[in-house]
Amino acid sequence: MHSRSGGGSWMIGAMVLLGVMLAVLPLRAAADVWRAPAVWPQEFGTRGLAYVAATGSGAARAAANSFAVATASTVLAALLAWPAARLIGRRTRIGRVLFVVLALPLVVPPLAVGTGLSTWFLRLGVADSLATLAVSHLVYVIPYVCLTLAVGFSGDVEDLEDAARMLGAGPLTRLWRITAPAIAPALASALLLGFVVSWTQYGTSLAIGGGIPMLPLLVVPFAHSDAQIAATLSVVFLVPVLGLLGVAAAAGRHR
Amino acid sequence: MVAALPVAVIVVVLFGGAVVTAAATTVRDPAGRWTLDVWREVLADPALMDAVWFSLRTTLAVTVLSAALAVPIAAGVRNRLWTKAVSVVPLVIPHLTVAVLAVLWVGPGGLADRLLGGLPLQMIRDRAGIGIVAVYVIKEVPFLVLLVTAAWGEATREREEAAAVLGAGLVTRFRFVTWPAIRLPLVTGSLIVAAFVLGAFEVPLVVGPSYPPTLATLAFEQTRAPDLAGGARAAAILLLATGLTLLLAGMAARVARRHDA
Repeated sequence: MHSRSGGGSWMIGAMVLLGVMLAVLPLRAAADVWRAPAVWPQEFGTRGLAYVAATGSGAARAAANSFAVATASTVLAALLAWPAARLIGRRTRIGRVLFVVLALPLVVPPLAVGTGLSTWFLRLGVADSLATLAVSHLVYVIPYVCLTLAVGFSGDVEDLEDAARMLGAGPLTRLWRITAPAIAPALASALLLGFVVSWTQYGTSLAIGGGIPMLPLLVVPFAHSDAQIAATLSVVFLVPVLGLLGVAAAAGRHR
Repeated sequence: MVAALPVAVIVVVLFGGAVVTAAATTVRDPAGRWTLDVWREVLADPALMDAVWFSLRTTLAVTVLSAALAVPIAAGVRNRLWTKAVSVVPLVIPHLTVAVLAVLWVGPGGLADRLLGGLPLQMIRDRAGIGIVAVYVIKEVPFLVLLVTAAWGEATREREEAAAVLGAGLVTRFRFVTWPAIRLPLVTGSLIVAAFVLGAFEVPLVVGPSYPPTLATLAFEQTRAPDLAGGARAAAILLLATGLTLLLAGMAARVARRHDA
């Protein structure tokens, strides 16, 4: 391994800085009283947590909705994108065409796509449901899942599969013993990215949701009006993502 | 190959259908008559040009700064697996969380303000859009670092070493060996960044000024308008933002080709 750069030490410094910056979120969430110019809260309490847990705030409902939609759209995107990711990873001409087609949504603002889709869904009589939200999120989840998964298929996976086939391994054995372990890191990254894209989706949820509470929509109004609730909601927003990051990192290490 | 069709069809139908429907709402009234009233209203709004310039300024600043920072950072982290892995952590932190953190740290009365007894410049809700640029740069640099390090692998390193043995200096090695390898992911990634910054409005809503708006926040304001045509005006403004993205894509492709020659 080369070590020409001093990347390690400044990286540790950057991560400590990031940790300190992030630490203010739980601190602010737990501070019932923190008046200027104090640099440490005057009083700790559970006002933020109580708000999030209260049925009337809709925060718990919003978090559950966002989690369900993000999980459904990510799993669906991974299943649908798998064959396309193989073609893109193989760098064939058809793979390059697929790459462009699947990346196209990334240049159009989500609110524009959401506005068009909500008109459609209204005409079809299927508007304002978690299912339509999950389907609409697919427009942005599929590109990230597919393009990340394609990186996993760009290596020697197919050679390994061919070798296993010649040695008599059936399709299921090949999938379980060869393909899955070989692309586990890329699959974990793809699922993580897909989940993050849907979990944080704002424009499409605003246009499609028809008032269904979703977590990102809840955070914005509090950013300037109530720092404690904004910080508490941000912690709720961050926890599943960091948990999944840990899982993805473990998948990468155990390759 | 056939198995890859469903995903392409889903994206084309959902995305294509959505864009065509959104475009149609801008040229047809609710009664189904063709009209350009929506576009006339949008183009006559004095806030539109301010929004175009403000969006372009912030988008270009974010894109150029992120790309310029991503290359040296990628150079620093690419040799170790753990530094590469750690450098992408901010990628998964939601934009909104970074925006809320910016308000808590550098907003008026924020922690930096309290610790330093005042900040030299206003960064949150400032008319120059410094807060918007700062939040996006923190978020987008890791994305570009990920793409650049993926392309800056062992094969490129071996070619760099061969060039060094033949007497090529740092600048020459970068110009003729590294740049051709990382150019495509860097340009593609920068375009995705530019498109995202032009089209998303949650970050400007939290850290941006009340005026000028970005194109995305101007569109968002239209969706809150009491009249029925608000959604159509929002769609028209966002289609303009898409046009700007395609314009930037064209310019980036030309720059990339010129460097190729």
